[in-house]
Amino acid sequence: MANGIVIPNDYKYGFSKPENYVFKAKKGLSKDLVEQISEMKNEPEWMREQRLRALEIFLAKKMPKWGADLSNIDFDDIFYYIKPIDSQKNSWNDLPKEIKETYDAIGIPEAERKLLAGVTAQYESESDYHTFKKKWEDRGVIFCDMDTGLREHGDFVREYFGKAIPPADNKFAALNSAAWSGGSFIYVPKGVSVDIPLQAYFRINAANMGQFERTLIIVDEGAYVHYVEGCFIAGARVRTDVGEKQIEDIAVGDKVLTHKGRYRSVYRTMKRPYKGKVFSIKYWGDSKSTLQVTEEHPLLVCRREVKEYRNINFTPEWLRADQVEEGDYLVYPIHKKETEKEIIEKETVKTVLLRDEKPFIYNYKPSVSLQIPFGNGIHVTQRSLDISLDSDFYRLVGYYLAEGHVDNDHYLTFTFNIKEKNLLNDVKVLLIRYFGKEALEGKVRNSGQTLTLCSTLAARFFRREFGSTNRTKHIPGWMLESPKPHLKELIKGLWLGDGSYDVKANMFRYNSVTRPLVYGFRDTLLKLGVVVSINSQKRLPPKKIMYTVIISRTSNTLFGQIVGKSATDGRKEGSPFYIDENYVYLPIKSIKVEDLNTDVYNFSVEEDESYVAEGVVSHNCTAPVYTTDSLHAAVVEIFVKRGARCRYTTIQNWSNNVYNLVTKRAFVDEDGTMEWVDGNLGSKITMKYPSCYLRGKGARGEILSLALAGDGQIQDAGGKLVFLASDTSGEIISKSISHKGGRTSYRGLVKVIKGAQRVKCNVRCDALILDDKSRSDTYPTMKVDEDNVRMSHEASVSKIDADKLFYLMSRGLSEVEATSLIVNGFIEPIVKELPLEYAVELNRLIQLNMEGAVG
Amino acid sequence: MLSISDLAVSIEGKEILKGVDLKIGKGEVHVLMGPNGSGKSTLAQVVAGAPQFKVQSSKFKFENKDLTKLTPDKRAKLGIFLGFQNPVEISGVSVFNFLRRAKQSVAGPVISIPPASARSRRSSKLDKKSIGLLRAVGSPSSDATRNLSMFRQELLEYASFLKLGEDFLRRAVNEGFSGGEKKRNEILQMMALSPKLVILDEIDSGLDVDGLKLVAKAIKQFRLNDTGSSLILITHYARILKYIKPDFVHVMVEGKIVKSGKMNLAKEIEEKGYRLWQTV
Repeated sequence: MANGIVIPNDYKYGFSKPENYVFKAKKGLSKDLVEQISEMKNEPEWMREQRLRALEIFLAKKMPKWGADLSNIDFDDIFYYIKPIDSQKNSWNDLPKEIKETYDAIGIPEAERKLLAGVTAQYESESDYHTFKKKWEDRGVIFCDMDTGLREHGDFVREYFGKAIPPADNKFAALNSAAWSGGSFIYVPKGVSVDIPLQAYFRINAANMGQFERTLIIVDEGAYVHYVEGCFIAGARVRTDVGEKQIEDIAVGDKVLTHKGRYRSVYRTMKRPYKGKVFSIKYWGDSKSTLQVTEEHPLLVCRREVKEYRNINFTPEWLRADQVEEGDYLVYPIHKKETEKEIIEKETVKTVLLRDEKPFIYNYKPSVSLQIPFGNGIHVTQRSLDISLDSDFYRLVGYYLAEGHVDNDHYLTFTFNIKEKNLLNDVKVLLIRYFGKEALEGKVRNSGQTLTLCSTLAARFFRREFGSTNRTKHIPGWMLESPKPHLKELIKGLWLGDGSYDVKANMFRYNSVTRPLVYGFRDTLLKLGVVVSINSQKRLPPKKIMYTVIISRTSNTLFGQIVGKSATDGRKEGSPFYIDENYVYLPIKSIKVEDLNTDVYNFSVEEDESYVAEGVVSHNCTAPVYTTDSLHAAVVEIFVKRGARCRYTTIQNWSNNVYNLVTKRAFVDEDGTMEWVDGNLGSKITMKYPSCYLRGKGARGEILSLALAGDGQIQDAGGKLVFLASDTSGEIISKSISHKGGRTSYRGLVKVIKGAQRVKCNVRCDALILDDKSRSDTYPTMKVDEDNVRMSHEASVSKIDADKLFYLMSRGLSEVEATSLIVNGFIEPIVKELPLEYAVELNRLIQLNMEGAVG
Repeated sequence: MLSISDLAVSIEGKEILKGVDLKIGKGEVHVLMGPNGSGKSTLAQVVAGAPQFKVQSSKFKFENKDLTKLTPDKRAKLGIFLGFQNPVEISGVSVFNFLRRAKQSVAGPVISIPPASARSRRSSKLDKKSIGLLRAVGSPSSDATRNLSMFRQELLEYASFLKLGEDFLRRAVNEGFSGGEKKRNEILQMMALSPKLVILDEIDSGLDVDGLKLVAKAIKQFRLNDTGSSLILITHYARILKYIKPDFVHVMVEGKIVKSGKMNLAKEIEEKGYRLWQTV
């Protein structure tokens, strides 16, 4: 899987070939391929012809020489990969023999097998989506993907398709016209005003995210529309620093585990209704988790080298869910010790926590002095408690998590089986050591015995730090950052309390009904290089689900050493898992594809843009990742009829190896208004100049363009206003920021034809350059063939002023904060035009891009 | 509080301060006077941490912490505040947004939004709908919302005290401000950030009599609220001293403090000027 340009698989019709797909052998765009695309999509003859004509134009046209250097794009090296829809291969019998055997070997209950054989998932479909859709459909609004549009509204589409942007317009428009796939078709009938931004609320299908998408929008007389260009299903559990949370409960500010094995803050959350394919993926090592994602959702995956054989090399890469196959390895990151800088950041977070129930410790230290509230209500005071966080203390925590709880905020209580007298004695000694007080032994009752320490300080500390009930008990994040000998003692305490060893089967197990504890146990063991799998068993009510952690037999010796038992390793070949210093690799058991109507969730994570959901790494959707240089050549055509208004908003954040070459054009009739809001943050090279052809009297065009170029990036953006009628007006506002050696260019065209009277036009382009390595250029072109016009053009180039920085910093802002505040102020005229959630994300993205830009 | 010994400062090879000694105690008011170009503003900027100056000093401490290597933001966090002689414009950034960030930086949690984990944990007993609702409207009981609106309220009070219009907090920092508004904006920031050491660089220049009275009243009020804060007033004229009584008066000429005294020193300067100490 290299060189992948992925054409999203929205080919629902007559297209389900087996895996050895014919196109896979061919690179480059050929007549055959174009014809085949058209045929598979069941397109009308005229579209096929248009595609073929466009192909000829594409092949004949030379690369544009006037803008950024595009000579590295090798069209013949582009791999036009179309992935067929995989048939549902998820019954028990379809599983590879080897995996079935392993499955038997690790002893997963019968119920699990059944679950595996036919995963039944439940979805709640959101009625809002249908309400919206129906409401607009009733009023004649068409909003669908381009393929559906072509199929169901063929003649209508034909009337407009390629009329604003004919294939001959430029090489990339020709390429798109030949190979287009996906995109949206929107028609808003006369007088209808769609008052919510389309796509911000519902997107027809995920395939819009394709590389050659084609969008056609027609806004009929007096109508209005705002279109915004752009996941997980509810219930997915996400790892955060305070345990697992349902994905729909994830909120901005939560810290989630990323693929780099560290916790990072969520800065944006998204929810949208989704209609399309959902992939349900089950994997070995955790029978309780099913990963459910939309087809384009990126996952961190290691390909299986040879089917049914254990891999020799493990190299994870980002793949779309629909590219992943059974047997491939999903990965789970091993928690990393935070660097010093990160710890300082966490310290500041500590003071931000305002709730009563905040934990006491945030970072591992050899010893801590804690201020514990003492007394109640208005009598509450603080007393200090000094604790040495040595390895024996970790064992005590282990015992507590396994056997302890807190009564009434005053009593720290442990309950042991009478056979565990040695553990009771160990705890008793430890309690005296850490809290200076002897615990009281209870009477033996039902073969159990309690040990109670009457200490408000100890009780409050333990309850708030480690939890006290099945719902709240967990291993806090700082413990995972502790030295390995400490972690070993923690495991020992937990296992001695809740674990067992089956001599006959040579198998270590750990049982608990507390899910966060089970996963914390697993994370801790991964840090120690011990591989485990997690299973669970539903029991009759009122008994709760029992989770069982099974230590992989390949780790038996290691685990035995930790808990003080001697055991021998099983054969390496018998284990489906693999572990290295960064990840544990978990092979995929089954993949099931379903068409669904449901809500999907996703969120953005600072720096790493990834998170662990359902126990494996996933990437957030808005920043697509491709392993090799890739090309995005979309075409957007818009027709704004008399008195109508259309706004089109894009914030692109492509990964930094994408060539983003997009043609966008609107034809605006009498008294119509077109507004482009265009933000370019990502990509390697962007060349994009949204344009308005003002062809009716009184028409207006507005282009707001924002560009941010960092290391290795070229943002060549701007806009075109073509005044073809009298009393037309227009405005271009361009704001660009270059830093870390990035390059921005404003390229604009203003043209007034002879006979277009009283045209008013205002162009303003401001560039901000943050360092000496970076660069900004302006290429304005004005062709005015009429005298009676009012034109203004203002341009400015500025650097971050040392005086401004000093002023802001003298008020306490760090250099990075001060710089990003100046930048936010600079782009404010554009940001204020965005819907709130986009504005917030944009500011956040820019701030992230800025970090490390200075100092 | 602030103690400086033998401070020498140069910029681009040119020596501006030539061995300044200064000690400011807790709660004291010092006035620094001197002719143009004597180095008063440089001293103020160097204490606040302006990066363009090369600084050498045998002792340069604030509350026993060495300032020499601290960046301006770190000094602000320690409680040093400089009211600028010529505040710069920051376009697109509102006064409120700026002060909110600044307050967050120097005072920490007071007005931060607590992490969502804290919110959701507290509201774990609510159903999902109401959580969503709370998130959307901002729960009235949420500390963050309350703190933020309290902070806004506080700023509005200061602004009205300084006779700055209601929309003042929404305006871009110093952009299109009149000379008097710029000065009052500096005072507003001082009041909002509650620093321990305030240095006001020619806060009185460009103010008319009413403006001067207002600013002086605000400074007095601030010092009543924040007892223990120290103040360094840099000025050419003794007129502001009618309203604010200094504990010490220093005269700076050609990069050195040439004389220190009490109130009567200011009166002497008012009458005779700086000729006595000037070499040229």
